[in-house]
Amino acid sequence: MLTPLTFVGDDAALMQALRAGHPGAAAAFYDQHAAHVHRTLRSALGPDEDIPDLLQEVFIRALNQIGKLRDFERVRSWLSTIAIFVARGHIRLRARRGWLSVFSPERTRPNHLDQPSSEARQALREVYAVLDEMPLDERMAFVLRFVDGMTLPDTAEACDTSLATVKRRLARAETRFLEAARRRPALEQWLKDGTRWNQQKES
Amino acid sequence: MEPAEGKLGQLGERVREALAAERTPSPDIRAARAGFLQQVAVRNFQGGDRRWSLRGAARRWRMLLLLSAAASGAVGLWFWQQLPISFQVGAAATTGRMGDLIEATANEPTPLRFSEGSSLLLQHGSRMRVLSSEPKGARVLLENGAVDVAITHPPGSQAHWRFEAGPFRVLVTGTKFKMEFHSQDLSLKLATEEGQVLVSAPCLAVPKPVSAGERLDLSCLAKVAPVPQLASLSTGPSPLRKDQTADSGRGVPAQNGGSWRELLGAGHLAAGLRAAERANFRQVCQVANPRELLALADAARLFGRAARAVTALRVLRLRFPGSTDASTAAFSLGRLAYERQHDFGEAVHWFATYLREQPSGPLMGDSVGRLMEARLRSGDEIGARKDAAQYLRRFPEGPYASEARGILSN
Repeated sequence: MLTPLTFVGDDAALMQALRAGHPGAAAAFYDQHAAHVHRTLRSALGPDEDIPDLLQEVFIRALNQIGKLRDFERVRSWLSTIAIFVARGHIRLRARRGWLSVFSPERTRPNHLDQPSSEARQALREVYAVLDEMPLDERMAFVLRFVDGMTLPDTAEACDTSLATVKRRLARAETRFLEAARRRPALEQWLKDGTRWNQQKES
Repeated sequence: MEPAEGKLGQLGERVREALAAERTPSPDIRAARAGFLQQVAVRNFQGGDRRWSLRGAARRWRMLLLLSAAASGAVGLWFWQQLPISFQVGAAATTGRMGDLIEATANEPTPLRFSEGSSLLLQHGSRMRVLSSEPKGARVLLENGAVDVAITHPPGSQAHWRFEAGPFRVLVTGTKFKMEFHSQDLSLKLATEEGQVLVSAPCLAVPKPVSAGERLDLSCLAKVAPVPQLASLSTGPSPLRKDQTADSGRGVPAQNGGSWRELLGAGHLAAGLRAAERANFRQVCQVANPRELLALADAARLFGRAARAVTALRVLRLRFPGSTDASTAAFSLGRLAYERQHDFGEAVHWFATYLREQPSGPLMGDSVGRLMEARLRSGDEIGARKDAAQYLRRFPEGPYASEARGILSN
């Protein structure tokens, strides 16, 4: 059941085959883009044990919506949009789980970052703790732009919004991040490297 | 990228590096690949442009939370009353975890103490799991062997304990009893010392009460339903009509009208899982066909209900031994053990089971690769090297090839 026929063909043929439900095309599609989607999910969420499930969900959603994709050259940003949508849902779910974990130990979120760790891990934990406090729209713009390294237009597209809106969100996200970072000593080392935040902090 | 933003990018880059150092992406990507392709295969198997709504619950969740907020005080009180009981295992009183295998040694029994006062004594050589807990009880799976049970009545209300052993279900309301189950011949022996329990099984026409001083000695081996032909399962409608009320006497409540089946059939995994839980998940598992059991397990796994997934897969193996789907269930049990429970020894057992049952099956490559990983993680480096060599002989360019080469080069 899990060894589909190998798909051979160019991007246009792949898209056509995906729409026709060719299982080999689904495998080829996954193999081409899984690393990109994984990176987007990981940037958005930080370390999270549910990423394999979310990765699967992104591709299932993509397959469901493949008929809506007109320009195959935009497939990566289109997948990013889906990944961000799925990640947003997961963050909400995670927040609920965190609250409900008091009542249901079986569903407590496992967190690699709680383990004893290096300085980098500590700083990483602090970064995502700050991001966890941000509104979702701002968080997503921030991670796509600065952690995932997307261009502004791609960030806007992945957030499914306009360029102007995403710039506003980024500006607010930076301010929030800086404010929160000031209260977290573990972030100091990372902020000492001459970043824009550090300059603002000194001014 | 503008200069000022470049500085932000520097920090982002460090985050990216730290994330990459946390965990390499390839195991995640491989794990999701198998699940995704399985979903694709199921969709194609169902023969239509089916759509899944994996997160269809989100809107209902939002609604539920809004309602909860409106009545926060009452809800808060209710939640406090709903605290599930916890338990400790062994003389050292180690905190127990849901779904973990608890195995008594051959020399001495293992005690379990629950926070509401109940206690179990798992007899030597026996295996069990606490599948879930609730405020007034728990759900316990006796996989094999014997257990002595002493249930405490919560003040002012009734205890709610369920014991499961193969096809048998024992409903308890506050009592002392001993039960013994042997998976080889599906036999159950039960002796009640105090109170009363209610035993149900597919081979019993009606649930049987066992009161204080009574004993029950029963085997379902000769009476279990015959294994359905897979050919008939893979085409056409499910063998069970949705208007069947008693589900061929197998004890499934009819009030849900088979809706879990319809939802699963339509690919609505989340809704199907919820409906199955409402209709009593264990009973649903007793009447679901192999494909439905795999779909239930997949839905449970996707939505973080590992214990439910394990239940569905184990029932599948029990009810349909020797079938291809039972072997697929073994593979899925291995995945759950590896990915969710990090029980690498258990994962080795299940992947090896799949390979023994389906040496040329469609999941053979994946199983050898995963077996290799599980052996390595469980400390069996010699076994992992053998698996790596076997994998490279068959799949020199496969997804586990680079890892296999790494194992052999070390």
